[in-house]
Amino acid sequence: MPFHKFIRRGKFVLTPALILPLAGCAKGSPWWIFDPKGVGAHASFIYMMIDVGVMLAIVGATALAIVWFMWKYRKGSNRGAYDGKWAHSNTLEVAFWGIPIIAVGFLAWAVSVNGSFAVNPYNPTAITKHLKPNGDPIDIDVIATDWQWLFIYPQYHHIAIANKLVIPAHTPVFFRLTSTAVTTDFFVPQLVGMIDVMPGMRTKDALMSDHLGTYQGIAADYCGAGMSWMLFKTHVVRKTDFDRWTQMMESNPDTMDYQQFNRFAEPYINVHDKTPAWGHVEPGLFDHVMLEVMNGKKWPLPMFMTENMFHYLKIQAAEHRA
Amino acid sequence: MLVNVPGPWSPLLGRLALSEIPYTNPILAPLFIVIVLAGIVLIAGVTYYGKWGYLWKEWFTTVDHKKLGIMYIILGLIMLFRGFIDGLMMRTQQALGDGPGDNGMKVMGAIHGYLAPFHFGQIYSAHGLIMILLAATPLLVGLMNIIVPLQIGARDMAYPYLNALGLWITTAAVFLIMISLFVGDFSHNGWFGYAPIFELAYSPGVGVDYWIWTLELVALGTTLGSINFLATVVKMRAPGMTWGRLPVFTWTAVSANIIALTSFPCLQVALALVGADRYLGTHFFTAGFGGNLMLYTNLFWLWGHPEVYFVILPAFGMLSEVIPAFSEKPIFGYITMVLASFAIAGVSWIVWLHHFFTMGMGPYVSTEFSIATMLVGIPTGVKVFNWAFTLYRGRLTFSAAMLWSIGALFLLLIGGLTGMMLAIPAINYMVHNSVFVVAHFHMMLLCIVYAVFSAIIFWFPKIYGFKLNEAWGKIMFWLFSAGTFLVFFPMFMLGFMGETRRLDWPFNPQWGPWFDVQEIGIFVYILSVLAFLWMLYVSIRDRHANRVHTADAWGTSRSLEWLTDTPVPFYNFAMVPHINALDEVAWRREHGFMDKKPDHFKAIHMPNNTPIALYIGALTFLVGFGLTWRVWWLTLASLILAVILMIYRSNKGDPGYIIPAEKMEEMDRESKARMLSDDSHQVPHGGGFSGGTVTAYTALDRDASGSLTPPNDSRHL
Ligand code: HEM
Ligand SMILES: [Cu+2]
Ligand SMILES: [Cu+2]
Repeated sequence: MPFHKFIRRGKFVLTPALILPLAGCAKGSPWWIFDPKGVGAHASFIYMMIDVGVMLAIVGATALAIVWFMWKYRKGSNRGAYDGKWAHSNTLEVAFWGIPIIAVGFLAWAVSVNGSFAVNPYNPTAITKHLKPNGDPIDIDVIATDWQWLFIYPQYHHIAIANKLVIPAHTPVFFRLTSTAVTTDFFVPQLVGMIDVMPGMRTKDALMSDHLGTYQGIAADYCGAGMSWMLFKTHVVRKTDFDRWTQMMESNPDTMDYQQFNRFAEPYINVHDKTPAWGHVEPGLFDHVMLEVMNGKKWPLPMFMTENMFHYLKIQAAEHRA
Repeated sequence: MLVNVPGPWSPLLGRLALSEIPYTNPILAPLFIVIVLAGIVLIAGVTYYGKWGYLWKEWFTTVDHKKLGIMYIILGLIMLFRGFIDGLMMRTQQALGDGPGDNGMKVMGAIHGYLAPFHFGQIYSAHGLIMILLAATPLLVGLMNIIVPLQIGARDMAYPYLNALGLWITTAAVFLIMISLFVGDFSHNGWFGYAPIFELAYSPGVGVDYWIWTLELVALGTTLGSINFLATVVKMRAPGMTWGRLPVFTWTAVSANIIALTSFPCLQVALALVGADRYLGTHFFTAGFGGNLMLYTNLFWLWGHPEVYFVILPAFGMLSEVIPAFSEKPIFGYITMVLASFAIAGVSWIVWLHHFFTMGMGPYVSTEFSIATMLVGIPTGVKVFNWAFTLYRGRLTFSAAMLWSIGALFLLLIGGLTGMMLAIPAINYMVHNSVFVVAHFHMMLLCIVYAVFSAIIFWFPKIYGFKLNEAWGKIMFWLFSAGTFLVFFPMFMLGFMGETRRLDWPFNPQWGPWFDVQEIGIFVYILSVLAFLWMLYVSIRDRHANRVHTADAWGTSRSLEWLTDTPVPFYNFAMVPHINALDEVAWRREHGFMDKKPDHFKAIHMPNNTPIALYIGALTFLVGFGLTWRVWWLTLASLILAVILMIYRSNKGDPGYIIPAEKMEEMDRESKARMLSDDSHQVPHGGGFSGGTVTAYTALDRDASGSLTPPNDSRHL
């Protein structure tokens, strides 16, 4: 990178300290974990605050005690009485075991048990408890490849889009996820926590957001050289806009069957942030892919693929995939 | 060839080819030349000064636990430095490469920053493996090696030859990972390995093979070591050293090595199965053909979590020695301290799933493992409270060693707080695989590093007879702590900003300022490395002024290692002492026993040096190298030779040698004279040799005159 940019950034060094207190209210906050916009992410945030509150009380008190003892009992300061034999006290030791036991007991119930059910990816009660009988939840099939995301909407004529996710606000969205080659994590920090996406297997996740906006999605688990570029923007839009979008998508003449998917799934680093779309993909593609992988289908990587990224980009262009 | 590997293969050289040597890489090629030149200078120097014989006799073939310990520590410090350079490179990559736009260095083949994913992946994988298994572990094993036998009044470890074998096999692992810099490449899949990306289809190079065999070798070396520690503590305690009088550090060594002995085999099996997949074409962890990739993750963390407690427990033990010594008080709640160590060791076995809550195991299973994980927090909390109350009513001296120990306490508090956050699945989903986790475990691992520096400063005079420079020890502490704050506070913040781990290209420009702060922190760390080197230089230069003339270097030490001469003679104790109390040295100081010397000596039995451990270590390196490159003849030949050597040595055994009593008396007199020789220093001479009632070395019974058999029972005075 140009060196002057490195220098110029220096003046921003102090700004984060100023941003922190504003995290809650700032628009487009960079503090994604503190600025949840999805039901699940929000529940997680609340549990985090409870947990930190309890733990900080104990840890903070201990830290203060240590500092106080350091001040009081420094040799030569003559502030505290020295007792070179004192090494045991039943009262204190009961307290030392008792305090953490009580704290862990409380946290176990308050955040561990409750939280695990509230944001259980397969059935997050934070979302499913409030399901309306005719709420029309949306199903999305997610297939992770090396290194792209494919999102298929089975209820909407099997439209599909890669590296971009569009969902309506106020609507529960249920995901089924699998992967072609290796394991990664589906993660939209402001909307929903991580869930593993594994080849030959199906996991589930659920998401609901009441906040229109665009949120960064990330492949959170290391899945190879292209991981850093394996990003997707998640657009939370009005229901009407979503319907308009699906209609537009359905009119897209491009289609994809398993053979074409096979080529799509070959190793590809999405450096140029491409978001190709298909008006229709083969129904059951998700299960088909899973079955093929279970039967041993692989998409092997070439050796030294990213030793020189410029070299790789040339190959990508030559294959008309750039 | 058992499976088809991409690229050429020949029976003679396996996968080795000239193209595997990165002689065009602008970083590695010059580095290689520098290392070769440094090696030539070193060899020439040793030859010029005629030191080969000395090195061979005193170091390469030694079975002395102290010398082996010192070599472990040197190995650990070198690898700590290598790991630090990896860290520096990663931080620089993220600082330079952050955000969109063209910020790549074309000569390096990177479109962002200066490292392409191919190189970045190798660096963080090597960093993690090195720091945990080849830096922290050897440092801790080295310190345990030196101190545990001294603390229990033994002359050496139970199996001196096995001890040497452990060191040389670990060294072989170090050579294997270091050579991967210049021959071929290292794994990209992190220190723990991801399934199924480590399968041949997705990691076609030799990187994963280097990773497998390096890990297998350290695992082997560490397992051998753990057997030895346990046998030593169980069988070799001095008379009167009952379990209830064992110093806390030795207790933590016991609990840690129980973990190591029982958990490392798990890693070895997991890796052997990965090896089977890659070499034999099996399908243990593949996605298809009935493989189960989640099984690998389970097996790995079934070892991986106990492993993190294997490394923290000895560090806890060190804090438990240093803090009382500089508080001039016994450790608060000795029994609770010991119980807590074993509670931690026990619970560490039932928490491994917290490393992959996101796998989708369902709320019942995850709640169970979440609560089990939080249970670990209870004994850990108890320990911190006990250390805090060891300070209470004490007389605190903030020496360099004490500063490092107290620094470790604060890191432990932060690590514990964040660990208790990660233990909650609802929270974990948001920060798992993010740099928040990375910051959590760096707090914990740095807690270990702080404890190790504390311990090195604390025990250095015992081994070398002079103290390290206090002022530079403190300067290093403050620089290191500033570096820690500048690097890891931003890392926690980046976790809250949603930065995930292992990003070659951190895409979000808003993270940039924090990366810059971290980069500054790295430079402060560099200063602390320089301060460390300067501390060594100044201390060695002023070693005469800093000489220690007493057995107890600090005047306030407590446990048995401070009883024998300084520096410790090779036989440790001229006469095996009789132990009367927990904190024996403090007890003797209080009862006026410190200047009691043995008045008669016994012949002692010491083990012989042997080069076989070194040979076997070298052969295991060749086995690993041969396997990595699939050079079957080399693998087989080295393996067979190693087995033959092992059988040969086992049949031959080691009769050891006897030092007669008169010789012992003479050596003891010389050793004492050496310790005391300094005109300016007023230390009461002798008193012991010429008779008098010696109750500290033979027996406490006053009537057992001349009897050389110490009583088996312990007595209260
Ligand atoms: C109070 C005690 C502790 C608790 C509750 C705790 C909890 C956790 C949890 C839940 C994780 C998984 C995070 C994730 O991947 O999502 C984790 C990771 C980790 N912890 Fe701790 N921990 C504790 C102490 C320690 C100690 C003493 C060490 C030792 C040095 C340690 C080292 C690590 C390491 C190395 C990892 C991550 C490994 C990786 O993913 O690369 N932790 N800890
Ligand atoms: Cu690190
Ligand atoms: Cu763990």
